Amino acid sequence: MNPNSHRKSFALLSSLILAALLLSACAQATPAPTTAPVEPVATEAPVEPVVTEAPAEPVAGVMLPAVDPTSVDGAIVTAGSSTVYPLSEAMVASFKDEGFPGDITVDSIGSGGGFERFCVTAETDIANASRAIKDEEVEACRSNGREPIEFRVGTDALAIVVSAENDFVDDVTLAELALIFSTASTWADVRPEWPAEPIQRFSPGTDSGTFDYFVEEVMGEDEAPILNAANIQLSEDDNVLVQGVEGSPYAIAYFGFAYYQENAGALKALSIDGVTPTAESAEDGSYPLARPLFIYSDAGIMESKPQVAAFINFYLTTVNDLIVDVGYFPASVEALDGARQAWLDGMGQ
Amino acid sequence: MTAIPTSQEKLASAAAPINLRRRVRPHEVLIQGILFFSGAVSILTTIGIVYELGKEAFLFFKQVSLLEFFGGVKWQPQIAEFGVWPLVTATLVTTTIAMLIAVPLGLMVAIYLSEYATPRARNLLKPILEVLAGIPTVVYGYFALTFMTPILRSIFGQDIVDVYNTASAGIVMGILILPLISSMSEDALSAVPRAMREAAYGLGATRLETAVKIVVPSALSGIAAAVILGISRGIGETMIVALAAGAGPNFTFNPFEGAETLTGHIVRISGGDLSYNSIDYNSIFALGLLLFLMTLSLNILSGMVVRRFREKYE
Repeated sequence: MNPNSHRKSFALLSSLILAALLLSACAQATPAPTTAPVEPVATEAPVEPVVTEAPAEPVAGVMLPAVDPTSVDGAIVTAGSSTVYPLSEAMVASFKDEGFPGDITVDSIGSGGGFERFCVTAETDIANASRAIKDEEVEACRSNGREPIEFRVGTDALAIVVSAENDFVDDVTLAELALIFSTASTWADVRPEWPAEPIQRFSPGTDSGTFDYFVEEVMGEDEAPILNAANIQLSEDDNVLVQGVEGSPYAIAYFGFAYYQENAGALKALSIDGVTPTAESAEDGSYPLARPLFIYSDAGIMESKPQVAAFINFYLTTVNDLIVDVGYFPASVEALDGARQAWLDGMGQ
Repeated sequence: MTAIPTSQEKLASAAAPINLRRRVRPHEVLIQGILFFSGAVSILTTIGIVYELGKEAFLFFKQVSLLEFFGGVKWQPQIAEFGVWPLVTATLVTTTIAMLIAVPLGLMVAIYLSEYATPRARNLLKPILEVLAGIPTVVYGYFALTFMTPILRSIFGQDIVDVYNTASAGIVMGILILPLISSMSEDALSAVPRAMREAAYGLGATRLETAVKIVVPSALSGIAAAVILGISRGIGETMIVALAAGAGPNFTFNPFEGAETLTGHIVRISGGDLSYNSIDYNSIFALGLLLFLMTLSLNILSGMVVRRFREKYE
């Protein structure tokens, strides 16, 4: 080897090292959203949320004490459902617009992941969920001294979506849907008049509350058939699903209504048993895949971290101003009143 | 006293003041220590990784037999399907496509740079080629998804090429590996002594004949090592396949279908939150160990090839 080739191999070595560094940087960057802040910041000197008016009489629904976002500070750590994620993001933006000076993180890791981090590792203040908490998750919370309080924040109509280029499907029944997401290999296997093209399936991943909900409502509580289906792609990232289903007229996916609405130009939402997903059909329950959206917290956290209590208060008070823009539907008046009452009970008021 | 010193005296008096051996130089010791520590860190890291991989994978293989792991063609840990082949085939398909792109192109680039290019062209081309190696792989991933896939779909038809497919991931991975192959092969070609070429010219060989029949065969061990390292790079490549190849295990050799590689699966599964003591969690360490063994054996193989087939001239 002449000195020149030594220099070259050194250059090669350093470029390999550079590539390795980049690679490891990428590898580290990927899981970042799930592992963001580990420890909730220790509580600052407890500032009582400024209560300016007493709760009004419950005739006109349950009212919460008004809250001043500028009067509280500190970190709020939330994680959970990718369906609730856009709603919580919007609430965070609005809360900050009102002057909240602290940091709020919202991680989109699936309802199961959200409860894992709220109950098992007890590192978040609020869990976002697109399904109710399970008994074993409540148990896990209790063993960490947390008693989960459920706040209903809205309603989602789970959208069954095909590409806008798909001109043969407009309506499916729940039974057909179960067939589409399990054993049917071509569309013609479901209905003879549909083309004999292979079905390409896109589904939220198994950590997702949307997946759990779909399995429960459509697949008869058995996840094996959907996981066994051919041509199925599972992702925790709803945008991966949107991109996949946009790509082929023979693809089908399901996800929260907000993701459909964001991409309504390229997608077509199917009606189920003849009912299209709208505000009315979601609210009166005639759309079969309408489901509640929740956030969860704990009285102890709300007490020791006034910023968390203030944020939930703000969430429950103003969520209906934003929810339609985000792409979901308001919860019923009773459900929202129930959530506000739960907040009052949790705060001991 | 002007007696002329004997040669021995001369040596002794000259040697005494500049005895380099004995003096203790604290900064030398310090530097040696730091250098030794740097070397030790990388070795200890490797040992730590092997230990951690082995520990978690052991827990996995206590529940899942090797026969099931290597005998099944379905991978869905949530419903206790632990056949690793769908992930392995996807890895093999993307890597094969990448090597089909990277080896011929990389070799041609190397031959051009070492045998044909003027020094000026060389000095211009080499850095540009090295820039390719410096592009973050996540950028390559989006390049595959938003540029290569639409091209493939317009050539072969929307119905044949899926949105997520191993072909586009493989092609872009080939572009990523190309600089590695060309740079290492060029080193090997340049190391062939000038006398060999001149002898070939002297016998009336043309430039092409010299390059293809004399220089390339002489440098074959280096080129083979480059190819093997390229393969191991392709097997371990993660971001491109995670973004563009697909998000579901699929036992297929069709490059136009979506399929998930070993690395892509690990990324997707660990992206959601897994419970620490579940079989899903342990399964990704088993996959990691498999990947580690694959690339390790390839790297060892490349070392053996170099040693076994090296032709020494100097």
